[in-house]
Amino acid sequence: MNMTLISGTVSLVIGLVVSWMSLNLPEASVGIPHAPKVFPAGLGFLMVICSAYLLLREFSRIRKNGKVEHEPRNPFLSKIVFTCIFGVLYALLFKPLGYVLSTFIFLELELFLFNGSARWKINTVVSLTFSLFIYLLFAKTLGVYLPQTPIIWF
Amino acid sequence: METLNFLFQGLGIAIQPLNILWVTIGGILGTVIGMLPGLGPATGVAVLLPLTFVMGPTASLITMAGVYYGAMYGGSRSSILINTPGDGAAVAATFDGYPMTLKGEAEAALAISAIASFIGGVIATILMVAVALPVARFALRFGPAEYFMLFVFALSATASMSKGDSLKGFIATLLGLMIATIGIDGQSGIKRFTFGILELEGGIDFLVVIIAVFALGEVFKSFRNIAEGHKKSQTKFGKIWISMAQWKRCMWPILRSSPFGFFIGALPGAGGTMASLLSYNNEKNLSDHSDEFGKGAIEGVAAPEAANNAASVGAMIPMLTLGIPGSGTTAVMMGALLMLGLQPGPMLFQQQSTIVWALIASMFVGNIILAFINIPMAGALVRVLSVPPKILYPIVLGLAFVGTYAISYSVIDFYLLIIFGVVGYFLSAAKVPATPLILAVIIGNDMEQSFRQAFVISNGSLKIFFASPLCIVLFTLTIISIVGPVIRDFVVKRKNATADTQA
Repeated sequence: MNMTLISGTVSLVIGLVVSWMSLNLPEASVGIPHAPKVFPAGLGFLMVICSAYLLLREFSRIRKNGKVEHEPRNPFLSKIVFTCIFGVLYALLFKPLGYVLSTFIFLELELFLFNGSARWKINTVVSLTFSLFIYLLFAKTLGVYLPQTPIIWF
Repeated sequence: METLNFLFQGLGIAIQPLNILWVTIGGILGTVIGMLPGLGPATGVAVLLPLTFVMGPTASLITMAGVYYGAMYGGSRSSILINTPGDGAAVAATFDGYPMTLKGEAEAALAISAIASFIGGVIATILMVAVALPVARFALRFGPAEYFMLFVFALSATASMSKGDSLKGFIATLLGLMIATIGIDGQSGIKRFTFGILELEGGIDFLVVIIAVFALGEVFKSFRNIAEGHKKSQTKFGKIWISMAQWKRCMWPILRSSPFGFFIGALPGAGGTMASLLSYNNEKNLSDHSDEFGKGAIEGVAAPEAANNAASVGAMIPMLTLGIPGSGTTAVMMGALLMLGLQPGPMLFQQQSTIVWALIASMFVGNIILAFINIPMAGALVRVLSVPPKILYPIVLGLAFVGTYAISYSVIDFYLLIIFGVVGYFLSAAKVPATPLILAVIIGNDMEQSFRQAFVISNGSLKIFFASPLCIVLFTLTIISIVGPVIRDFVVKRKNATADTQA
């Protein structure tokens, strides 16, 4: 994977989409009618120019060197994907299970990912301490609202 | 005289016991976070932000400033002891700090880095006291067109001075500005780029983007470091202090690097990393012991440490006086200010002068406290380095999520956090700098507002952006900031090519 080509292509697409969407925005009913479009459309056009230049520069570099350089695939990509999945799960459980329990589960899963399953005792202690400590600090001391866990009485 | 009056008023607030307590807590937490590899002041302030929500604006700002300096002090601890800089600004401390540790001089290195940071911070705060009010008064003359051009200059300077490819810096800036346009347009009520999603109508909270990119993005990057193994740090120390001979070698480098660092820090986008690296190179060129640099020269630790702390104070100048953050961390702090209902900029000094001067005065207090925390207590604090990152990073994740929730009490922001965390990771994988994106997300809204106001004043003509001398100066500076790096690259290429042909 050549990350410069990928990022150039992605930003080119974003630039085109934003330009097109900006030009198709409804007109303002007060003041200058096209005022809401000008700024985002300008950003879109500039993005197209910058990313096209990035792509051209990269292509000419590739032609000069005679080969496409590939960056090695990150071997930890699966862990990143898992962290995202756990994050989504956390979001889903946050309200129904309350802060303490959902955070305990999320941290237990993350620590499993980072620290391994063999050290489950440490993982459990850390997850439990963190979720209780933060709940007591935020919800009980600082007055920041956090959803209450049904089975925990406070 | 007027400035001194303000300063003493501020000092009166800063030395209230509760505020001293906050700055101490902020300083200790900041030092601890700063010590963790990969986590710098920006992440520190972003993650600890929710803790300050319940405080008043003054206490909140003082605490965050404490976290900021604490992280700057702490960043160099891990550079010196385990050769792993806590953040970019602490990279220069590894060059000579770690060789000093290997030579068994860790105590002197830790002491001089704290002393240099202290002196750098104090000198920079004195300079700030001197220039803040005049700059703010000057900025009052700015109309919307001037402000827009100032934003353009600040963003282009940040993009072109960012690490690596400046073109990618510009792409990051544009992406950030686009993120800022999402939501209902305040002036016309038109929904822009919301894709029919109700939650996007209020716009994307920049604090979520900040926490995502700085905290989640760093954790995603950390998997690789963790796999490389945990470096053990020295935990037993003798007396953490320096000898008279060592002080004599460091005095001038510190005194030179402090104002220099302050100046670099006040430039948009330059920040602590550039200040510390430049001052390291300066001292290497000026020193009588230049051959010792890189092998454990004590002034090689002192100069960049003084410069980066001075830069962290300097970076507050454009943030407080103009409403334009000069670095990633000041961007986060500006986000916090906005969240507290304070609009940074010249009016801040008129309307909220008590808060601003209390913050400035607290920098003196904070630096004294941090010097105390970091010299006698250094031995105890560095024990944090013996806690494996495998446990610390999940905790950072936990803090990022609770912080995000505390901003808006909405679980939808968790999804945005994950999305922008992934975006942050891919940006770094594609070597696109994150700081320009963050700055753009924060100032994007104000930038468009000033553009629109000027646009209305001129009845839809773009000529207004080139009408006043100030606009023309800012436009010229923008062009220089874009063309400058291109010319520099060209000259370097030319030089290399000639060197190659001669060889």
